[in-house]
Amino acid sequence: MAESPATQHIELDEDHAHLGTGPIPAGPYYQPEYFDLEREAIFRRTWLQIAHISELPEPGSFIVRPVEIARASILITRGRDGEIRAFHNVCTHRGTQLVSDDSGKRSLFSCPYHMWTFSDDGELRSAPDFERFYVDKSQCSLSKVAVDVCAGLVFINLDSSPEQSLREYLGPFAEELEQLPVARATTFSEYTYEIEGNWKLTYDNFQENYHLRFIHPRSGEAANGPQNPFGYPIRYGFHGPHRTQTIWSNPDARPKPFQTFGFMKGAEFAIKDGFGASAQGKEYYAIFPNLFILGSPMTPFSQSVVPISANRSRGIIRMYWIGEDDCASRRFAREYAMATARDIHSEDRAVIQAGQRGLESGALSHIHFQSQEILCRHLFQEVDKRVEAYRAERDAARAKA
Amino acid sequence: MNTERNLPEGFEQLEPYVESWSIAGAANRSRRRIDSSEQERVAFFNAAKELAGPALALLDQKPLDQLDDRETRLMNLILSLAHVSLAVEIQGDDEPKHAKNSRHITITRASSDFNA
Ligand code: FES
Ligand SMILES: [Fe+2]
Repeated sequence: MAESPATQHIELDEDHAHLGTGPIPAGPYYQPEYFDLEREAIFRRTWLQIAHISELPEPGSFIVRPVEIARASILITRGRDGEIRAFHNVCTHRGTQLVSDDSGKRSLFSCPYHMWTFSDDGELRSAPDFERFYVDKSQCSLSKVAVDVCAGLVFINLDSSPEQSLREYLGPFAEELEQLPVARATTFSEYTYEIEGNWKLTYDNFQENYHLRFIHPRSGEAANGPQNPFGYPIRYGFHGPHRTQTIWSNPDARPKPFQTFGFMKGAEFAIKDGFGASAQGKEYYAIFPNLFILGSPMTPFSQSVVPISANRSRGIIRMYWIGEDDCASRRFAREYAMATARDIHSEDRAVIQAGQRGLESGALSHIHFQSQEILCRHLFQEVDKRVEAYRAERDAARAKA
Repeated sequence: MNTERNLPEGFEQLEPYVESWSIAGAANRSRRRIDSSEQERVAFFNAAKELAGPALALLDQKPLDQLDDRETRLMNLILSLAHVSLAVEIQGDDEPKHAKNSRHITITRASSDFNA
């Protein structure tokens, strides 16, 4: 895929029609057949954020993470050499899931079934009574998964030879993400939710502001105002399958007294950490397919919308911190920031589920996106383009067979 | 009546709230907010909001792992206030509706849960 090296921007008052204006088919937001195609066309061949580097702090650290849509479990290790490696968490003897803990510190992994033992670089170290096998140990290494790190975020790619490196894939966003707190974070807070909603429908909720005044009338007060009643972004940016928006905030907003106290505490530590005047402070990145990162040093969160099935997803929100809580004020500031973001996120779930129920009735053949829902339109187009290409590739392979 | 002091000197006004609101663990504090009545929340918020500044100023004088029991209770009380303030100051009479949605969002890890 040849992609322009720069991010293309459109400002608030510009024409937003370059991605088209037509209605969007509803089926892709609930049909299991489409979800099956997304599995192959996207999730088995795209860089997916799966962890943060702080979860692998030292040689011997490991984590195990599920990728439900691919029915996979991934073992990620930091070797004695400091290298991060990823493998399918599958014993090469007869396929048993190798590690059942989801994190720990260990450099040897023994399969519970017949005790094949692998080192953290994936090699088969020892196996009982191995002389009776008809295979060489060197043929029995764990199955490797591509892994790379950008801005402290650990990505994997289930494609055995990814079309692009992670850096190429992220393009100019790689550089921008490296400037954010997430890149320097050593720890994080996390909250999660399970939702009866397709991953795209869920994701879309978090990339349009049209709903803010209706769904977040209290928690979202500062996000709109008479000059911008819907709180639309100042501009949108696109790079390949990724997108960003520059958030508008109401300069006349009047935070409540305790809210001001909470924000001031947050600002104090953002400045201490060197994020006083961050150029990306108002950027809200949407990294294809399912990751968001907010640039704000006061609310430095990421959200992954993890696809589980055609109508089920999981949201994982993390707020990234540099260093452990080192004093009461910092501890308070972090708790306040987390509770604030959590309040806003919690308000969206019910209405997304209502959307899923409506779509699943099959009542609609199409849905509509307005010009300020352009990021949702862009996601659909990027998904559908890949699904169509995969369909063509599959049909050609079938015709040949 | 129990006359034993649970909080550092200067925070006597908050003694009646220790039992209900001095809670270890961010997930537990968040849950307590969701399960509370408006009356409890408003009483606690009004009593504590002006004392958050002085409380943090006192607690900031020591590393967190050296806080004594009274100081730890005060810390947890002020952390609960972060959650409760959002209910009282931001959500207001929307809080019951908000709480219904909020139940589905689980805090799985918080920086305040470490070396507390
Ligand atoms: S399946 Fe793992 S050792 Fe046999
Ligand atoms: Fe929302």
